[in-house]
Amino acid sequence: MILLIAVVSLQAVTAEKTVTDLLGRELVVTSHPVRIIALAPSITEIVFALEQENRLVGVTQYSDFPEAAGRLPKVGSYVNLDLERIVSLRPDLCIGVKDGNPKDVVDRLDDLDIPVYVVNPKGLDSVMQTLAAIGGLLDVQAKADELIAAMQLRIDRVEQTVQQAETRPRVFFQIGISPIVSVGTPTFIHELIVRAGGRNVAEGSFAYPRYSREQVLGMQPDVIVITSMARFAIFQQVKSDWEQWPDIPAVKHGRIFMQDSNLFDRPTPRLVAGLELLARLVHPELFEGEP
Amino acid sequence: MNQTPPNLLKKILITTVVALMFFLVTVLLGISIGSSGKTLFSVFEWLAGKGDADPMLHTIIWQIRLPRVLLAAMVGASLSMGGLVFQALLRNPLAEPYILGISGGAAIGAIIGILLGLARFPGVTLFAFVGSCATLALLLMMTSGSTILRKDSLLLSGVMVNAFCSALIMFLVSITQDARLHNIIFWLMGDLGMVGMGQTGILAGILLPCFIVFFLLSNTLNLMVMGKESALAMGINVQVMNIILLVSTSIMISASVSYSGLIGFVGLVMPHLLRLVLGSDHRVLVPACIFGGGGYMVLCDLLARALPRQGEMPAGVVTALIGASLFIYLLKRAK
Repeated sequence: MILLIAVVSLQAVTAEKTVTDLLGRELVVTSHPVRIIALAPSITEIVFALEQENRLVGVTQYSDFPEAAGRLPKVGSYVNLDLERIVSLRPDLCIGVKDGNPKDVVDRLDDLDIPVYVVNPKGLDSVMQTLAAIGGLLDVQAKADELIAAMQLRIDRVEQTVQQAETRPRVFFQIGISPIVSVGTPTFIHELIVRAGGRNVAEGSFAYPRYSREQVLGMQPDVIVITSMARFAIFQQVKSDWEQWPDIPAVKHGRIFMQDSNLFDRPTPRLVAGLELLARLVHPELFEGEP
Repeated sequence: MNQTPPNLLKKILITTVVALMFFLVTVLLGISIGSSGKTLFSVFEWLAGKGDADPMLHTIIWQIRLPRVLLAAMVGASLSMGGLVFQALLRNPLAEPYILGISGGAAIGAIIGILLGLARFPGVTLFAFVGSCATLALLLMMTSGSTILRKDSLLLSGVMVNAFCSALIMFLVSITQDARLHNIIFWLMGDLGMVGMGQTGILAGILLPCFIVFFLLSNTLNLMVMGKESALAMGINVQVMNIILLVSTSIMISASVSYSGLIGFVGLVMPHLLRLVLGSDHRVLVPACIFGGGGYMVLCDLLARALPRQGEMPAGVVTALIGASLFIYLLKRAK
């Protein structure tokens, strides 16, 4: 029996599998990777959600959720990766994101025979696909399916509720304070706004359009959501800046909100929480009486 | 210049060997220190050919640190040479590729190349070359004509060319929306970390011929420093030499900029230091400048890597801190 376990574990160490990542790149990975580096905070969250954090040996700066992630060794920030740190942690697998991780670094890791599995989440559906893919890669398909089903359930619930709404309030989602930056159609925040039953006043082909105050006044948003890593004091200041313009419906009705940006801009299972939050901000009337 | 050839040869040899030693020490330091720890001892073991071959350490030293050190060395050597040649040709001790806006011109070309999605070599490098030639032509046009090459007018023209280049760079950066923006910004600040061994080989292939040209023409440089009339009297075709030297410098600067981004003031430090120690004979200065400049840049990059506790800062910050202080000192002394 001991011999059998030894043989099996030996096989597990030496066996390799060829996988295709979500960009269609083929790579060879050990069949059970146990030294994984997450090259973006969102990947860290996904690995933790799959309860495989014991297999993580490195994360990037700003990997702050869950709290335990912050205690893992850092390999630079996701746009400015520290190649030497990555190599010194002897990873058998890196998981990266297409938007953010520089292609140069991914190419160099390939040259150094460190497999990089790249994902490319573009919205809620592809977050679920990403979960399934990483679940498959780490041999925890069942856990991934469970998470996906839970996400789908919560999304369906929000959408059913929002369907009863009579209006589609105009939402201005501000992710940059100075300059004023919002989110266009090719972002997942846009998708969240639409699914939450709102209309994104900044929709358009630019991902992160910049606005002047005057343009925002002209768009007459009913709701302003400000997400920022900035502190509460700064939010108060931004809020009082907007409050000088009572002609904006959002100002007139006191519907300016500050939210944690991590719930909206990280393609992780938590995006559903962002959706639920947004739906409550856009359609408070539909959620009355709910906890 | 009054020295007899054997004496001169000896001086060239000695200074070259000393500069080479300095360079090799910096390289050794450069491959010994990195974000995963200091491994000076292991490097010596490696060089001695013993010690356990830890494949991870091997990879870190030879495939991550060495290409970076070599890139820094080549960039430092070419920027220092650029400073030396400009200072001689323009007869201005404060001339330097970055201050004159030549690096900025190369950067504009390189950014356009990156935005068009071209490969580093030859696409981006070629665009950078066109950019640096354009700014060089603009600079020469502004300073030639009726006015003589006065010290202040050349520097002022350079400052203006540089300001214009910076504005164009900001314009290009601000109209860029996608993920390439990050790449451009990191590259602009002087990112030496993302180059593999193959690319350092390509850069060496571009730079070596330029270095040889400068070494062969080092005596010509001596004569041209004395002024157009005396150079003509010595039988030098000033116009042709000017073009050869300026074009080689442009090739060198644009190749360096397209690999390393904007690293300023490097061309000021080494030429001045070496002239102080070695005198003004370019036959001695050229080889010393190549190795000295290379070593200086490796040290600056090492500081940039080692000083911050988290991550690293761009090497351009270190070179500007040192170089700009020297510039201010030199400017004050000149007055």
